[in-house]
Amino acid sequence: MDKKKQEHTGNKPKQQSTMEKKKKKQHQQNENHKSKSIHDTLPLELIHRILLRVPLRHLVRLKCVSKLWHSLISDPGFAESHVHLSAAPTHVCLLINDYSKACSVDIDTIFHGYKHATAVKEVSLPFKMKKHYDFEVMCSCRGFVLLHRAPHFFVVWNPVTGSSKIVSYSHIVSRSHRKWCLFPRSAILYGFGYDASQDDYLVVVASRDKNGQDHFDCLSLRTNSWINLNSALPKPLGVRNWESCGFFLNGAIHWSSCTLGVKDYSILIFDLKEKSFSTIFMPEQVMCYLKPTRLALLGGCLALYSYEYGKTNIWVMKEYKVHSSWTFYQISRGECVPLCLSNGSDIVALDPAPISTYTDLRFVEYNARGELRRINYFDYPHLQHFKYSSHGLSNSGTNYTVYTESLVSLPSDIKDKDRDKGQEEEKRPSESEGCQTGKEN
Amino acid sequence: MGSPLKKIMLCSSEKEIFSVEEQVMVQHSVIINNMIEDGSYNYEESKIPLDCVDSKTLKKVIDYCTYHTHHHNDNQEDLEAWDAQFLNVDSNGLYDLLMAANYLEIRNLLDLIYRTIKNMIKGKKIDEIRRILNIKDHGFTPEEEEQNRKEYPHFY
Repeated sequence: MDKKKQEHTGNKPKQQSTMEKKKKKQHQQNENHKSKSIHDTLPLELIHRILLRVPLRHLVRLKCVSKLWHSLISDPGFAESHVHLSAAPTHVCLLINDYSKACSVDIDTIFHGYKHATAVKEVSLPFKMKKHYDFEVMCSCRGFVLLHRAPHFFVVWNPVTGSSKIVSYSHIVSRSHRKWCLFPRSAILYGFGYDASQDDYLVVVASRDKNGQDHFDCLSLRTNSWINLNSALPKPLGVRNWESCGFFLNGAIHWSSCTLGVKDYSILIFDLKEKSFSTIFMPEQVMCYLKPTRLALLGGCLALYSYEYGKTNIWVMKEYKVHSSWTFYQISRGECVPLCLSNGSDIVALDPAPISTYTDLRFVEYNARGELRRINYFDYPHLQHFKYSSHGLSNSGTNYTVYTESLVSLPSDIKDKDRDKGQEEEKRPSESEGCQTGKEN
Repeated sequence: MGSPLKKIMLCSSEKEIFSVEEQVMVQHSVIINNMIEDGSYNYEESKIPLDCVDSKTLKKVIDYCTYHTHHHNDNQEDLEAWDAQFLNVDSNGLYDLLMAANYLEIRNLLDLIYRTIKNMIKGKKIDEIRRILNIKDHGFTPEEEEQNRKEYPHFY
């Protein structure tokens, strides 16, 4: 602070002896003052803090404002802070259809009249696909999307920065019945999360081998290696007792019990730091539902939804692991797939109504009382290939996921980048990283 | 916490003295609150020197704190309207206020200014942002600038 003080007082005009000189000086100073740039006036720290408030979709553009901003925004530390501080995370729904065509839907702008035309974009996937069914969306974490790529690869991909990593899981395939090993659907559990204690991203998979033995494998993206965690598995896991797609929240991955056979209607939790499983109960009222109860993340809270007589019942656990905080919402207008909260309280959902096998996708927004606020009818050319199918979107292991955009890199990317920088510093002192993030459009 | 009638003295960079209700500053400024709480402020003699805040800016800061102390029960819309009017200043005035709010640690004013600057640049074209923020020297080499313009023509 002292330094700042000095800097600032240094800019002040010195005492002048004559009035005239003083006036002249003041006039000059005013002139200078008028043309003062934000760079000369504000310390870096404050510019940094302003940029942290800017929603991600505008940041890519702001990198072009000046070299200083470019370096502030490109810093890995900035990306980290932005994830934590961003007041308004931007939610994007990524859809991939059977032909591996992908498109992203910017959920926050889709209902905003004049902006909606740019809300839906065709997306090019990180690797060229060879045939249909090449790519499937699995889940997401901190701006990364986990994709499955045929025949047996996981791809971790940040759609904003375009960075990606592909990892084979052939060792899991080799111990399974080959023909039954159709990931992600044949996995008992899968999930993708972030362990802050190690600054590591982990992919976890529970699967059954030829001999009916359950395995639990964990991929560390920092070390790029698979670890076997069989001993952590709760017994018995059962093959169809849990929704296979896990949801990352609070350093842990969560799965809901989906069959009526699981008596205690629980949520299975895998803590990524402790590498251990635990369970919590669903609200008692869920037990009378006839259809499976699925997980969603709404406004940073774990939520469950289930259908009952053409209605969607939603439970939100307002305080993490506090059973009494489960709060009930009902959407009486039909069966829908809740995706996220917008404006802190409105539920945005994918709306399959009218129920038929193939119908156009629609995004809808409901208020907290379950009343319909807005419907978005798609007439985007990009989305004509995306139909709702009763066997598609509503199943787990599906072809959509919601992620919050971020500029975060994988730990290994940062290392690589630093190394590259070291080697090539002489040649091109500041390689335009903007190219990497050019995926915005 | 002092009584609402107690006054404290603030001294601007031009050595102009401002007398303010203690409560007003204590409620908003973390720095002044700390000074009062740890007893380092002497009511008889002390003036709090704010060498990096000029009189014009200090007056604005005091206006903000006073208004928000006395109108904190007003409805949100009225407060927002007042805030918008309050921040209707040129960019240099805004930077000065930001520096002052940062120095005095007035969190809600900081938030307000961050938000305002953010809204000034959000969704604007690059050339427009540079004009608004008076950025003449963007620091890119002509080649880099040309490259960016070629790559993202819709940004400019």
